[in-house]
Amino acid sequence: MAALVIDVKDLRKTYRTPFRRKKVEALRGVTFGVERGHIFGFVGPNGAGKTTTIRTLMGLIRPTGGSATILGHAIPSRQARFKVGFLPESPYFYDYLTIGELLDLAGRLFGLGAHERDQRANALIGRVGLERARTQSLKKFSKGMLQRAGLAQALMNDPELVVLDEPTSGLDPIGRKDVRDLILELRDQGKTVFFSSHILTDIEAIADRVAIVARGQLQAHGTPSELVDRNKRLGVDVIVHVAADANVDGLTANASKIRRVADELALLLPADADVDAWLASARELGARVVSVEPRHETLEDLFMQKVGETVAG
Amino acid sequence: MKPLLGRIWAIALNTFREAARIRVLYGILVLVLGSNLLAIVLGRMSIHEEQRVARDIGLAGIALFGSLTAIFLGVFLLYTEVQRRTIHAIVSKPIERWEFVLGKYLGMAVVLTILVALFALAMMGMLAWQHVGVSSAVVKALLLAWGEVLTVAAIAIFFSSFSTPFLSGIFALAMWVIGRVTPDIETAIKTGSAWIRGVAHVALEIVPDIHLFSPSGRTIDGQAVSVHADFVSWGYVGLSWLHGLGWIAALLALACLLFHRRDFA
Repeated sequence: MAALVIDVKDLRKTYRTPFRRKKVEALRGVTFGVERGHIFGFVGPNGAGKTTTIRTLMGLIRPTGGSATILGHAIPSRQARFKVGFLPESPYFYDYLTIGELLDLAGRLFGLGAHERDQRANALIGRVGLERARTQSLKKFSKGMLQRAGLAQALMNDPELVVLDEPTSGLDPIGRKDVRDLILELRDQGKTVFFSSHILTDIEAIADRVAIVARGQLQAHGTPSELVDRNKRLGVDVIVHVAADANVDGLTANASKIRRVADELALLLPADADVDAWLASARELGARVVSVEPRHETLEDLFMQKVGETVAG
Repeated sequence: MKPLLGRIWAIALNTFREAARIRVLYGILVLVLGSNLLAIVLGRMSIHEEQRVARDIGLAGIALFGSLTAIFLGVFLLYTEVQRRTIHAIVSKPIERWEFVLGKYLGMAVVLTILVALFALAMMGMLAWQHVGVSSAVVKALLLAWGEVLTVAAIAIFFSSFSTPFLSGIFALAMWVIGRVTPDIETAIKTGSAWIRGVAHVALEIVPDIHLFSPSGRTIDGQAVSVHADFVSWGYVGLSWLHGLGWIAALLALACLLFHRRDFA
């Protein structure tokens, strides 16, 4: 295996609540690796430990156990941070700055010269589509614009590794697509992207590898095809139109997830159901078939299963 | 060395921009102008002491409002970075936390220096109105007031590195007041009970001697001095500044250490 860009071993973080000093285990031994040139999706429900993991990697939080390296440097490492771009969750920036001033500040912290700062800032402002907001202070930016500004400052140092905490959170569909396209573009440039999300379609659409985290522990880790068996049939989705007063008890006997609105009946038949026989019964009742579609396992199914297991456990 | 200074300066510049937007500072400027007008009025009311009264009130205004501004800026500027999470996008870049703390202090110091210069200009305007020239004693007093303000800023930023603005403000204010009355504490050591002597000794050890910056009424080498008198030498000003710089360095080092250990969750 090639050298890992991020190598996390048994990472632990325990907090103490302010007054009662009660222990809260935010991370309970997280282990995973991110290979160079990959898009790595880090997925989990709210409070799973995604942001704690990312903040620990970025040196904002001190781990209470385990170890992690970024680009071969043990965290927290200033050398590594020279080559890393980071977008925090729901980014907060100095709202009195313009986008140009924000990027200039970021460039100064990376030690870039004035000419280089200017060049990169101009290119990035164009890349994230904020040219028209150039003279506005960040205070007047919408959430989507702030997210774009955050992406621009994360790329100011032309990083080898880009760490994005919930980059599509709060964006409209066009904004989400733009971010997904940007992530794919970064991978095409040879960069490694590590991003967290709880929007599974985003992860499924672009991630080369996925890790599912819940309750501070890794529940699954691998490529989407390793994690999800796309040949595994979970059932058959059927939609028919049937008279509103027709008795459909015989049709729904073995089905799950039954939904009937006016004359439309939608249900999920078991994977081993005799669909031909079911359709024949439906036609006898005068039903008209709208669609029949096999349902295969998706990342969402796996996610719900893994998160459900931790909740039950 | 150059990249290090560049990073610290970047934070300082940003802190300056942030502080310059705080409207309270403009209110304080107005208060200082008001105190100078009051100095003129009170000077007129005194009998043959117009110049001394005007100068005393002018200088006291600079030290008082400068120090209060230093506490206000010191307790808020560092804390709000953590509270608003603006610090997340900063310390995840190749900057050490101690560089960040130094940058914040430097930015504050620039703001406070400009404020003290403006206060001084206002006072000199008031003195000119009273037909009083600016003597070297006044320049020395202004330098001492500037040193006091920068020392108080370091006290505030030290408390702000681990506490909330409310508590930091109380602690910093207490330290400033105690530091201002060190001659009284020294008297307490000589005359008070054993318990008072113990507390006074501890207070003198852990609090900067801010009274050095305002030496009126102090006894130095057996002589009672007044800051307005010519026998406050340049050497005294230099030594007071050295005392202040020593405390600034120690307080900032402690602030850096405490800030280094913090989690930004």
